[in-house]
Amino acid sequence: MTDQSIIEYTLKQLKKQGADKYSCSLSNSQKQELNIEHGEMSLFRTTYNSSLSIEAFVDKKKGSSSINKTDKDSINDTVNKVIELSKSSKPDDCYGIAEHQSSQTFSCGSKQVDLDLMYDSLSNFNEYVKNKFPKIILEAAILDFTRINTFLGNSNGIDFKINKGLYNFGPMFTAKEGKDTSSFNYTGFCTKDIIKPLHKYGTIEQLLKETEEQIKTSPVKNKFVGDIIVTPDCLGDFLSMLESYISDIMIISGRSVYKDKLEKSIANNKLTLHSHPLSDRLDANYFVTGDGYVCDNSTIIDKGVLKTLLLGIYGANKTGEKRSVNGGGAHIVEPGDKSLKDIISSTDKGVLLSRFSGGYPSDNGDFSGVAKNSYYIENGEIKYPISETMVSGNICQMLHDIKDISKETINFGDSIYPWIQFSGITIS
Amino acid sequence: MINKDITSYSSIFSKDYTELRVQENRQITIGLLNGDVIRNDSSSSSGVSSRTFKDGNWGFSSNPNISDKSVQSVIKSSTDNVKFLNKRDNNRCGILLPESFANHEFDHSSKKEKNNQKYWIEYLKSLDDYIKTNHSKVTSRTLILNSLDMEKNLLTATGSTSFSMTPKSHLYIVLSAEKDGNPIEFMDVYGGLGQLDDVFNNPKNHFKAIDKQVGYLIDKANGIHPDAGKKEVVLDGDLAGILAHEAVGHTTEADLVLGGSVAGDNMNKQVSSSLISLVDFANVYQGEICPVPVYVDDEGVKSEDVTIIKDGILKSFMHNKDTSRHFETNPTGNARAYAFSDEPLIRMRNTAILPGKSKLDDMIASVEDGYYLMKTGNGQADSTSEFMFAVTMGYEIKNGKLGRAIQDTTISGVAFDMLKTVSMISDDMKWTSAGMCGKKQPMAVGMGGPAIKCQINIGGR
Repeated sequence: MTDQSIIEYTLKQLKKQGADKYSCSLSNSQKQELNIEHGEMSLFRTTYNSSLSIEAFVDKKKGSSSINKTDKDSINDTVNKVIELSKSSKPDDCYGIAEHQSSQTFSCGSKQVDLDLMYDSLSNFNEYVKNKFPKIILEAAILDFTRINTFLGNSNGIDFKINKGLYNFGPMFTAKEGKDTSSFNYTGFCTKDIIKPLHKYGTIEQLLKETEEQIKTSPVKNKFVGDIIVTPDCLGDFLSMLESYISDIMIISGRSVYKDKLEKSIANNKLTLHSHPLSDRLDANYFVTGDGYVCDNSTIIDKGVLKTLLLGIYGANKTGEKRSVNGGGAHIVEPGDKSLKDIISSTDKGVLLSRFSGGYPSDNGDFSGVAKNSYYIENGEIKYPISETMVSGNICQMLHDIKDISKETINFGDSIYPWIQFSGITIS
Repeated sequence: MINKDITSYSSIFSKDYTELRVQENRQITIGLLNGDVIRNDSSSSSGVSSRTFKDGNWGFSSNPNISDKSVQSVIKSSTDNVKFLNKRDNNRCGILLPESFANHEFDHSSKKEKNNQKYWIEYLKSLDDYIKTNHSKVTSRTLILNSLDMEKNLLTATGSTSFSMTPKSHLYIVLSAEKDGNPIEFMDVYGGLGQLDDVFNNPKNHFKAIDKQVGYLIDKANGIHPDAGKKEVVLDGDLAGILAHEAVGHTTEADLVLGGSVAGDNMNKQVSSSLISLVDFANVYQGEICPVPVYVDDEGVKSEDVTIIKDGILKSFMHNKDTSRHFETNPTGNARAYAFSDEPLIRMRNTAILPGKSKLDDMIASVEDGYYLMKTGNGQADSTSEFMFAVTMGYEIKNGKLGRAIQDTTISGVAFDMLKTVSMISDDMKWTSAGMCGKKQPMAVGMGGPAIKCQINIGGR
């Protein structure tokens, strides 16, 4: 069967077996992946996979299953299983599937991998690191090209095709001199085409340099309350925490600190956070929500005001709030007007936080964790790289305590982040 | 259920060292949020993979179809991939892997008649009803039941064969309460090795534990922020397991040692108090099967226990074939892959600090001003051996007695310094296996340990 006919056959079987509402998606992926381990390119992987995901509702009861087979027998078995799961569940009026929308095909990235380009780029990166940063051990570096073709359909007649092909690169490295070792560090990016040396993307070159500086570290001397300047590599962790507070589970359960904050100020008015999955500025676009609606760009926080929750159909029906026009992520944070250099100069006492190794934040927003690959700042100057230093605060308060946002930003392909300075953080 | 006999495919292996693995992962997930079903899923993923080694390089390929044709295809593709690398770089020409030979079958499938998903939804519903009826201070309830069956069939060019069906089942209960309008949550996890029907028998068996969990939640809602800084603490057995895993385990995985881990400079040196012995158990501890038993790894190597620290001295690293070649030692059977489409990586199996001779009550009584830390969340390791992990439940200790509960925090330390501060170890042992370790791929791991008294950095205010 062709991919389109697999979807059509599955939908037909779901109807035949008595589902009231149903949806399914088929994703076929092919990945080619080159791996450096300990400074040697020593593994080449080629993987193929399929994923057929089915969701069905019978008498307002829900069941779901996914398999990676597309033959008729497997589909029939899975459809029967999903119907059985649905019948065995509990009814809920709030379940739903996407309404009818006109058929569309979406595309992003390249159709074909350039394997020689991949090999040469990774090999050149390996040589570059060895020559330019002799103290760096490239523990792992993975460059892959992943092509995914997805087909979506449901009982309301949606019919979407999505073709994506992106290169993804993620190096992980440590610096070592004698018996002294830095913390490991990592970063990454995704791109439609490799058009420049890998170290020129994102923050790779900067982090390699900093990691060599971090072989000798010291703890901060005393506990204090000060500023943290969160780097673009680290900012995504904090914004993901924020997103979890405004998503289905936390809002429905009533556990979210932002449950009644729509259209209210939740951050300093310097912060504007967009979720722009369709942006031309990002290489990694997505086009359809997990529920099957065509995406639109949105602004999550506009000058400090919460403009949207990230609710799917179920969350929206359960809470009476609006369904989100996208699934979050694809962040673009509006830059500020001050340079990073000036922000550092304005810091009396604090930490340049490059990596946060911490526990998941509490429901009330409290977080704590270790400042990794980070620097102590005093009297407007970076003093020394730190270790054994913890940062603690409350993410909700922290958003109100933004002092400055840098005018420089980093584009990782799937998000664009500046440096943000927060005050009132306990550093110990 | 996957085909158990794949030995005949050895005839189509190339001349190079090759591994062939057929694997299926099956998962059931049911979720209830305040009594409503938010997840009711039963899924599977299966396929075949081949990995080929020649002249220091590996080629790997996988396919979701399991047929003669797809087996031929992945073997050819993995061979082509290694040829591609060898053509571009022949610097490691002539490197050979250590040979291994092991055969084992392990099937931990339930022998009981399987209950259907309706039974398990009702099971969760009765737990939810119990909480709702008996604990009015609980403002939100999330219950997740999850089982993972990992079934593998392996054949290697050196004649190793292995069939394993390793299941795990866990129940996650997240409860919330409010204090002055602020939400406070506490999650506890129940379960371990086995399929759902073997691990969970009767909802009533959970009621006592739920009552205890709610008690902790209420204490925590009235709790305080810990005083940040270096403190004397007693880590409960639940935390000692993650300490073994994050603080020492990752640092002594041989691939991370090659990546610059500080453990590489400390072999046969004192890295902890002499009270500490730490072992990565392959499958059995004191005659009892471990939470994540591994008998033959995914490179066809017989899994052996690895004594990482013996009486405070660093003794061994965990190896796959390639790192054992590098370090001129034997592979330890730690190479494991999560999915059919994943290559084996060095992974811990059941990493544990061994029990000592002290009693937990005496350990708490010996602390003048510190904390008793009981439950943990996520954690992370580092090449420097500086670790962190979340603490989700604990109490302050004042003059040898438990005081107020503390709110969520994080603890950290440099393992090879912190472990030297260990002054007491309890004589009991707790195992956990609820979390998944992340290292390119997720992986089920077991973690175990007794209570430990030590000094550690704690986050707070």
